[in-house]
Amino acid sequence: MSTMDTFFAATEKALGSGSVNRSEETIRRYGENTMAGGDKRPAGVVYPSSTAQVQAVVRLANQYKTPLYPVSTGQNIGLGSRSAPREGQVVVDLGFKMNRILEIDEKLAFAVVEPGVSYQNLYDELVRRGNKLMLDVTSGPPQGGMIGNALDKGAGYTPYFDHFGFSCGLEIVLGNGDLLRTGDGALDSETLANWHTSKYSFGPILDGIFAQSNYGIVTRMGVWLLPKPPVVRSFHFAFPDDADLEQIVELCRPMKLSNFVPTLFRVSNDLYLCGSEGESVEYAASKGKKSISDEGRKALQKKHGLGAWNLSGAFYGPSMAALDPMIQRVVDHFGQSKKATYIPHEEAGKIPPLQVAINAFSGIPSLGELGLLKWRPGGGNLWFLPGTPMDGKVANEFQTICRGIYEDHGMDYMVMNVCGPRFARGLHVMTFNREDADERARADACYRKMSEAVGKRGVFVGRAPVDYHDFHMQQAMPAYRNACNGIKNALDPENVIAPGRYGIG
Amino acid sequence: MQTSFTEQQLARPEIRQADGILRTCVHYGFCTATCPTYVLFRDENDSPRGRIDLIRAMLEKGGAPERKTVHHLDRCLSCLSCVTTCAVKVDYTHLIDIARTYIEKHYQRPLGERMLRLMLAKTLPYPRRFAAAMRFAKLVRPFESLLPKRLANLVQLAQREARTEFVSPRVFPAAGARRLRVLLLAGCAQQALDGEINAATIRVLTRHGCEVVIAEGAGCCGALPLHMGREEEGRALARKNVASWARVQDVDAMVVNASGCGTTVKDYGHLLETEDGKRIGAMTRDVTEILESLDLQVKNDKYYRVAYHDACSLQHGQRVMAPPRDLLTKAGFEVVDLPERHFCCGSAGTYNLLQPQIAETLGQRKASHAESLDPDFIAAGNLGCMVQIGRYTKLPVLHTVSLIDWATGGPLPAALRGVNLREPQPKPKAVEVTAGATAPSGDSGFW
Repeated sequence: MSTMDTFFAATEKALGSGSVNRSEETIRRYGENTMAGGDKRPAGVVYPSSTAQVQAVVRLANQYKTPLYPVSTGQNIGLGSRSAPREGQVVVDLGFKMNRILEIDEKLAFAVVEPGVSYQNLYDELVRRGNKLMLDVTSGPPQGGMIGNALDKGAGYTPYFDHFGFSCGLEIVLGNGDLLRTGDGALDSETLANWHTSKYSFGPILDGIFAQSNYGIVTRMGVWLLPKPPVVRSFHFAFPDDADLEQIVELCRPMKLSNFVPTLFRVSNDLYLCGSEGESVEYAASKGKKSISDEGRKALQKKHGLGAWNLSGAFYGPSMAALDPMIQRVVDHFGQSKKATYIPHEEAGKIPPLQVAINAFSGIPSLGELGLLKWRPGGGNLWFLPGTPMDGKVANEFQTICRGIYEDHGMDYMVMNVCGPRFARGLHVMTFNREDADERARADACYRKMSEAVGKRGVFVGRAPVDYHDFHMQQAMPAYRNACNGIKNALDPENVIAPGRYGIG
Repeated sequence: MQTSFTEQQLARPEIRQADGILRTCVHYGFCTATCPTYVLFRDENDSPRGRIDLIRAMLEKGGAPERKTVHHLDRCLSCLSCVTTCAVKVDYTHLIDIARTYIEKHYQRPLGERMLRLMLAKTLPYPRRFAAAMRFAKLVRPFESLLPKRLANLVQLAQREARTEFVSPRVFPAAGARRLRVLLLAGCAQQALDGEINAATIRVLTRHGCEVVIAEGAGCCGALPLHMGREEEGRALARKNVASWARVQDVDAMVVNASGCGTTVKDYGHLLETEDGKRIGAMTRDVTEILESLDLQVKNDKYYRVAYHDACSLQHGQRVMAPPRDLLTKAGFEVVDLPERHFCCGSAGTYNLLQPQIAETLGQRKASHAESLDPDFIAAGNLGCMVQIGRYTKLPVLHTVSLIDWATGGPLPAALRGVNLREPQPKPKAVEVTAGATAPSGDSGFW
């Protein structure tokens, strides 16, 4: 019996019958991903049902020197799915049995969830309770896990867009098997009044080291919620030219610095929006070797009533009429550009890609944006996620660089800039035919080239597909790498939690 | 997904169609999270993409399917939740139908199961036979414990109080000026189990200016045999219906009030590959889609709280989600959504008869979600769901159209007769609802 066999036998004994799965089908599927580098077969999958069981698994992993790879709901498509950084790791699937909403405090507006709780789960529960509270959602899969997304620094669009920032109070099983509570939860007490209401307590703020790291397995998280406004009224503007991005960013910035507009701005290019509504009509002719033509883009813009760039934001209020002055001010503000076409809320609701934005601003999980992933056939999908300062010239320069690199590699440039007051996340989508070796290689090269190009201009990625974690960590300064590994050695001395994830361990 | 069919295999239309569908699946895996059996069992072979792989292997290999393959494909509810979720829109609907037909033709089931399936196929689609079978089932109730599990389950299902009412072919004139002339599918098992649904449909349609035609010769839509892989039987029933309906002239729409049937009739073009089939499919509407186009004359001042259950055939099969909610709201009810509304209740055609254990788990889960909303009653647009959910709750379960009928001047629905409903809540002042956003029924104190 191999050490791995012994580990699985001991795990099944500790967790109970049915808690271990090593069937060929399971191993194959849990290794599947959408990245260019190929699938990564795990050694098997285990399904704990409680924090105590997670501790048991981690302790056994220490005993048998077995690498673990925790996943929540496994919906991180384009960034790794459920696939581990290296083959032969044991997937700890927390989504199957640890999917309880542990608490909802309607007075203080927070929820406490386990890793398997999805946006849809919490949304459903809030609706069931009378729709008094609203959660921030991504525009990705409704079944995506809230803890997984927050820990990977995922984000949405409402005032509570920063999912890690608006989490409060974690429970973590450390790599050595110890149980840690962060924030006010660190108090050695049975009663914890402020665990999920106050992020700052005595001592260092440890929460941060569990975002994008592999020092432990988070088994519980508090998440803050908004009182649900009676009315969400969106506004949208279409701009005709690629270079209009500079002007858009300049116009967005003061609206966010002043916090006049409570949501983030979704500034999406034509293909990011239109791509969810159909497949590339030029792909077959070019065999995926060329980017879509300008004529093709214009035709799509016309078909969907959109521009080269499209901006969406929203206000919250007690009634539609109460928001009239705000809308008028925004219309006047963006009207300065002389190029913006205003698309009012009611009209936008009839344009499916803009309805996705309305749903996101309203805290409603929706499937609409997933259609992007069928733009090209073959199931390849990578997300490249750098960001730019909210400076129009810089943002436009990055557009020119990235658009050029996409075109050099025969990819179709799809991007949404999610704009805050000082910084815009750049959600770049790369869809490619994973069954075509040449296209796969071009997608990989395109990703690396863009990372290097923006890196030279001082921009790091915010999130990354798991295949590129080592690559990105090598872009970091040595002292940062040393610090990350030093913490790893302290909290997970046997290196059992997700070795290689985020380029650590 | 890559496939490796031979040219000889691809010469067969169903294999060619399956090949085209299989190649679109790229294994993103979004579907797994919304598949009821995968959520229950976490078995890859009980997920949509796992089943797609099993279907590919089965069809590529040819000959008799493996028992394991049949086991996992039988456990698929055909709820089509995966189709809604799929990013690349794999046509799983037709793929699983091809697989079921293949299994039916090439797999020898155990004798007891064959007999059960034969009995269902020869009874359910025929209302009078089914009504007789229900009466017989009531007689054997005392011996239920002696019966095999699935037969015992069948007997239990038959204990539901039936409101048998057969609708004869005829024309029901519109009250007042005629606005539309519509065909109505009277259906099969529904007539034996709950005749009130057709009666309410006819009342509410005629009341709102529709002339309703029940065509001579039309019957079961074919969905029930199709779900069991008996494609030729299903197709024969569909052909018969299309021939009957094609004889009726000057029709604006074909109305269906059982959403499982609606999904099948809307797909007649694909099933029959005839012009008439396509025409009928294109003109078919769920009853709520038709009613939404009419100006509902509401006479209801009772703001009852309705937990609305989306039948899978309506939400995933036909994507009809807003009309029933809008109608019930217009009709003066408070409509509340169930948690996990994308999930099947376990009815799924004949599924609760053939897979009673999984169906029971899903039925309990659905009923529990509905009860958690503290409604006065539950509404659904499909009789199968009504029967299934009704087994696991004491709350009245009604067809949407029965409530619309009641709210527009029809009689109190039978399911509410003798029920002590609590005093309805006063209707709140109009709340503004924005596109895409559900208005809160309360807030945390600020708004």
